[in-house]
Amino acid sequence: MSVTFVEKVCVLGAGSTKYGKLADSIADISTQASVSAIDSAGIDPKDIKASYISNVFGIADKQVHIGPVLMSRLGIPDKPSLTIESACGSGSVSFREAYANVAAGFYDCLLVTGVEKVTHTGTEWTTTYFAYCSDFFYEGQAGASFPGLFASMARAYLTEFDATEEDFAQVAVKNHDNGILNPKAHMQKKITVDDVMNSPVVASPLKLYDCCPFSDGASSVILCSEKFAKANGGDYVEVIGSGRGGSPAALQGREHLTTIPSTKLAVADAYKMAGITAKDIDFAEVHDCFTIAEIVDTEDLGFFEKGKGVQAVREGRTKLNSDISINPSGGLKSKGHPIGATGVGQVVEVFDQLTGNAGERTVNDAKIGLTHNFGATGASCAVHVFQSV
Amino acid sequence: MSIEEQLIENAKNGKVLTHKCTDCGHLHLSTVYYCLKCGSKGFEDVLLEGTGTIATYTIITVAPAGFEKYTPYAFVVINLDNSELRISGFMAGIATPADLPVGTKVKISDFDERGIIVEKQ
Repeated sequence: MSVTFVEKVCVLGAGSTKYGKLADSIADISTQASVSAIDSAGIDPKDIKASYISNVFGIADKQVHIGPVLMSRLGIPDKPSLTIESACGSGSVSFREAYANVAAGFYDCLLVTGVEKVTHTGTEWTTTYFAYCSDFFYEGQAGASFPGLFASMARAYLTEFDATEEDFAQVAVKNHDNGILNPKAHMQKKITVDDVMNSPVVASPLKLYDCCPFSDGASSVILCSEKFAKANGGDYVEVIGSGRGGSPAALQGREHLTTIPSTKLAVADAYKMAGITAKDIDFAEVHDCFTIAEIVDTEDLGFFEKGKGVQAVREGRTKLNSDISINPSGGLKSKGHPIGATGVGQVVEVFDQLTGNAGERTVNDAKIGLTHNFGATGASCAVHVFQSV
Repeated sequence: MSIEEQLIENAKNGKVLTHKCTDCGHLHLSTVYYCLKCGSKGFEDVLLEGTGTIATYTIITVAPAGFEKYTPYAFVVINLDNSELRISGFMAGIATPADLPVGTKVKISDFDERGIIVEKQ
C-alpha cells in the first residue's frame, strides 16, 4: 500500500485498568483507563478532537454505543466518537483508524480506548458469545468454540511439524513468568509445564493453561501528530509502521492451516512503511490467545521460519531479554484478554517499555517494538511498529 | 431458496453444492459470490459427493451453549474428495485422538441444529 502522509504520528500517553474479573461497568472502566492515559500524556481532555472506542460485547453489560457515554464522562460530550468491532482484534483496528486520521491531518490529538467486560456471563456464555466471532454458518453452528478452532490449528501443527504438546506448554510458562512482573496482569501466578499438561482439556490438544483467560479490562492511549507531541512536551513514542490484512473467515478456506494470512499481509505493510525487517524488532506483543497462536505468530511475523517457532520456544529464545522478547507484558495468556481492550493494551505496554516505565519486565536497550493483534482465528489483523524518540 | 438453504438441503443428502467459475474454472463452496481467482461473478453449480478425509480436528469438552449434551464431540475440517476444497462439520462419538487420526475417511451424512454432520465412512 502506498500512502502519502501529512503528519508523523506519536503515542503521547497510555494507561490501563488492571485486567481480571472487575466489578465496575464498562462505562466506568473505560473512563478510568482514559483518564490515566490523559494524565500520562499531560493534556487536557479538551485537547482531544475525537475518539475511537473498541468494544465487542457491550450488550453483555447493557451498554452499547459506549463512545458518547465515555465522552460525556470525560466532560467533552461535543466531541465525536466511533465504536469499532473487529472481534479480538478490535483494539488494534481502532488504533489503526485513529492512526490514519492523524497521519492524514484530519485531527492532531485523538483518544483510543478499548474496553470489555464478559466474566460476569460465566464460562458457558462467554464461550458461546466468542463463537459468534467465527464464520458461524460453517464453524460456530457446528459446535466450534474458539479454543476448538485454535486446537484445530494446533492439531495441524503437531501433524505437520516436529512439535509436542509440552512445547506448547512452554509458551504458557514463559508468559506467566513475564506476567508475574506486570502488576496489571490477570494471572500473576508461576506455572510449570506439568501444571499445563495436567490442567483439564478444553479442546484437545489444548488444555486450560494453553488458553488465555476471559478477562475484563480497559486500556487507553493518546495518539497525536509529532507537532502536537513536541509542543506538549513530555515523553512520546513514534509510530513508524502500520499494516492491516485479512484472511478467509473460516479455517477451511485457508491454503495452510498453520499460518495466518492476515498477519503476513499486515506485517509486510508495517515493515515496508517502517523501512525495517523482522531482525530490527527488539520486542513484540503478539496475539497469544492460545499457546499455539504465539508459535504461529512468531513465524508469520518473520521472527522464525515456518515450523521453527516451536524450536525457538524450546530453546528459550523468546524469553524476556533473550534473542527477541515475546510478550514481555505476559501476553494475552497471563496479562489477560479483555477482547476489545487487548490491542490497545499492547500499545500501552510498548509505550511503557519505550519510555522506561516497564519496571522489572523492562526489555533492555529496546528501541523498536511491535504490536500484533488479530480478530477471531486471524480473519482480521493489524500490526504496528513503534520507535523510541 | 437462499444460498445457505440450498447448501443445507444438499448436505442432508450427503452432497456438497459448489460453484465453478465459468471463466477460469476455479471451484468454491456455493456461499461464495465472486471468483477468488479471477473476480468473475459467473458460476455453474457442481454437486460434489460429501466424502473426504480429516484435514484437522479438535475434540471439544468445554462446549458453547446447546452443545453440552453432545460432549465430547469433534469439530472437524475435511478435505473433500476430487477437489481442493475443505468444509467443516460436527462429528459425534469422538472421545480421544485415537478415535480420529488425521486422514480418517469420512462423509457428510446430514445437516441439523449441529450444522453439517460428518461421520466415518
